[in-house]
Amino acid sequence: MRAITKRFPGVLALSNVNFDVRRGEVHALVGENGAGKSTLMKIVAGVYTRDEGEMFFKGQPAAFTNPRQAQNAGITTIYQELNLIPQLSITENIFLGSEIQRGALLNWPRMHEQARALLAKLHLDVDPRRLVGTLGVAQQQMVEVAKALHHKSDLIIMDEPTSALSVREIEDLFDIIRELKASGVSIVYISHHLEENFVISDRITVLRDGMHVATRPTSALNIDTLIRLMVGRDLSEKFPKENIARGAEVLRVENLNQGSRLRDINFSVHAGEVLGIAGLVGAGRTELVRALFGADMIDSGKFFIDGREVIIRSPRDAIRHGLGLLTEDRKQQGLFLKLTMRENITMAVLKALTRGPFTSRTKETALAARFIDAIAIKTAGQNQLVMNLSGGNQQKVVLSKWLATEPRVLIFDEPTRGIDVGAKVEIYRLINALARQGVAIIMVSSELPEVLGMSDRIMVMSGGRVTGFLSRDEATEEKIMEYATAADKTFAPAVSQESAVL
Amino acid sequence: MISETAVEAARPAAQARRTASRLLAALGPLLVLLVMFVFLWITSPPFRTPTSLLLIGLEAAAIGVVAAGQTFVILTGGIDLSVEAMVSFSGVVAAILIAGTNIAGGQIAFGVPSVVAIAVALSAGLAIGMFQGTIITAFSMNPLIVTLGFRSILLGISLVATRGAGINIQRDEFLAFITGSIDVGSLRIPMPLIIALAIYALIWVVLRHTKFGRYTYAIGGNETAARLSGINVNVVKIFIYGISGLLASVGGILVMGRLVSGAYQNGTNMTLISVAAVVIGGTALTGGVGGIWGTLIGVFIIRIVEAGLVYLNVPSNAKEIVIGAIIVLAVMLDVIRRGEVKWLRFRRRPAL
Repeated sequence: MRAITKRFPGVLALSNVNFDVRRGEVHALVGENGAGKSTLMKIVAGVYTRDEGEMFFKGQPAAFTNPRQAQNAGITTIYQELNLIPQLSITENIFLGSEIQRGALLNWPRMHEQARALLAKLHLDVDPRRLVGTLGVAQQQMVEVAKALHHKSDLIIMDEPTSALSVREIEDLFDIIRELKASGVSIVYISHHLEENFVISDRITVLRDGMHVATRPTSALNIDTLIRLMVGRDLSEKFPKENIARGAEVLRVENLNQGSRLRDINFSVHAGEVLGIAGLVGAGRTELVRALFGADMIDSGKFFIDGREVIIRSPRDAIRHGLGLLTEDRKQQGLFLKLTMRENITMAVLKALTRGPFTSRTKETALAARFIDAIAIKTAGQNQLVMNLSGGNQQKVVLSKWLATEPRVLIFDEPTRGIDVGAKVEIYRLINALARQGVAIIMVSSELPEVLGMSDRIMVMSGGRVTGFLSRDEATEEKIMEYATAADKTFAPAVSQESAVL
Repeated sequence: MISETAVEAARPAAQARRTASRLLAALGPLLVLLVMFVFLWITSPPFRTPTSLLLIGLEAAAIGVVAAGQTFVILTGGIDLSVEAMVSFSGVVAAILIAGTNIAGGQIAFGVPSVVAIAVALSAGLAIGMFQGTIITAFSMNPLIVTLGFRSILLGISLVATRGAGINIQRDEFLAFITGSIDVGSLRIPMPLIIALAIYALIWVVLRHTKFGRYTYAIGGNETAARLSGINVNVVKIFIYGISGLLASVGGILVMGRLVSGAYQNGTNMTLISVAAVVIGGTALTGGVGGIWGTLIGVFIIRIVEAGLVYLNVPSNAKEIVIGAIIVLAVMLDVIRRGEVKWLRFRRRPAL
């Protein structure tokens, strides 16, 4: 690809970007959110068309105007959110759009047979007639890879393939990538986990603000250089943790049970403390904080605030008792994208901002201005629609909404997911500031460095149980992983999001 | 995707474009209304008379009130298909009470005053609406199905209670007042129109300046986030369907008062027209975006089209075809305006 330029309304998404992938190479593409990685790859895959520049595929000029063309030419993209149909079988998914027929009828035996061969190649030992929805995330990803192999792809683009995988599953994926590589398939690898790029890639290209910064062999780079190239400045501290004296106990949870998802959970958080909750996908971390917040029903369990038992049956109860929850999925569960910043920030405390039966614009404006100022939200004004803000600023809007309720306990579920490196540090500083003011903080995170870097104490979960506590001093990645895989034998089936109340 | 520096640079232009597009979305329906009005004004002399204009206003009143309730429901992302049945039902209830007809068909000498009858009918509308809302929220049922079922139930009750015929009544003083008109200068302004406009003004205040209104938009925009923000989503929704039931009943009383008859056909077609008016007025069927004045414009657009067809001598039987086409067209415009139709998305020129 040469001198690719892409403009979106008001934004120059890519400016004169050069990029090339060699046959049989794993090429990592890195950059902060908004650097243009996804845009570039979507141009390759035919989702977007470029405004300027040239593209060549296997030596031929190429211009795909839709994903289908790119796929037929041999380019497959495996997106973060998998593009499989859970209600169909593995075979049906693999052959979707390219079914083998005998006359007017589908030739099931041949399709199953070919599907089985593809799965065998990927060391995936499952019946191709199984419904995709019954597979785990890692296996679903393998089905995507199988689909790519079926289309005889020469180039596979993997966009955040490991975001939902456990350490072991990531190893398996890497083995497959190495095999694909050996058979001459090229791979573009996009991952927020910088360490992974060093393990798997041959070369690394860095994008920043839509511009090409560098392309270097992986062996010529180290993680600090890479971060410097990505952010264009030194990150003095990735995790600006402050030591804050631990105060009195604010929240205590006793014997919390919820079906097979949560079993016998006991823990407490103190004022000024950051309690990190670590664990693999399906360990029950999100289920725990949702249950705590009253978003899902529980079977049994007691909650104590300041030592007094409280009943929490709904988010309303939770808020009344001083809890706040920043959900892992901001857009789906936290924000009102079509409403303004002011309306978002005041949503949870609107009751207090009234004059007689009417909402008070004056009070609302004052409150919103206070938080926009206090936590430095970059905005064109309070009337800006939240959908037009960047990920970091959206997270700050959600945070403001909760700060307005003056919470005693603030729960962050994946606080920095989808937020670029610079903004992450800002979020960490805000967490520090809150702890300093005596707020008890619960932080669920899948990023071990974040848990290790920001927590005073770490609670590790596995299979719906708490398998261990680690103090800040004794915690290491290895110890966390040891606890996180502790209950593997009694592993409860992962429960999908659909079965939740909300 | 958008980096912060880029947002910074593009701000004034983007802001201006957003304001412009919002203005266009708000004024689009109004422009259509004006164009149609001017067209009829020029081509059809009978249309120009004050009487014909007031007649359009009068005809817009009842459906306008019904559509106002529908706006609430659609703003939360729901839909109320029972409104036309509610119009008939409330008319029948009030008519039976006023006329004193019993189920067996014989006349009873003493009916109740219309004020009482209307109060009963409106309370019933509110209660039934809230009951539907309760079912929808308590069992997480699709409002489409629940309200469709109640449409049938309410029409059925109206049919049984009237045995298929209309129940004719005499206007008493109160009924004469609310279905009459007031003279302003040389103009006779129909009372139903005044009632409808008052209701619109009230709803505007509720939507813009009360918690309830904000929650309505919040639920339509993101129900999960609303729940997690501590909003009692179920209670708000129950009241939303209650309001829709209440306003449909008000519409039913206006129709019944005008026709001096409570019959199961009183509400015919009103569901379709109310939904169409809401959508034409720029409220998204997906909820969270829109407003009440757009609905009023939508109602007038539909009424003027109907009037226009009469003045242009189109046979009244063909009316349905035109109305249907307008509704499909309106929804089409709605999705295009939102940029949801990929192949029709406007080529956006770079702003830099």
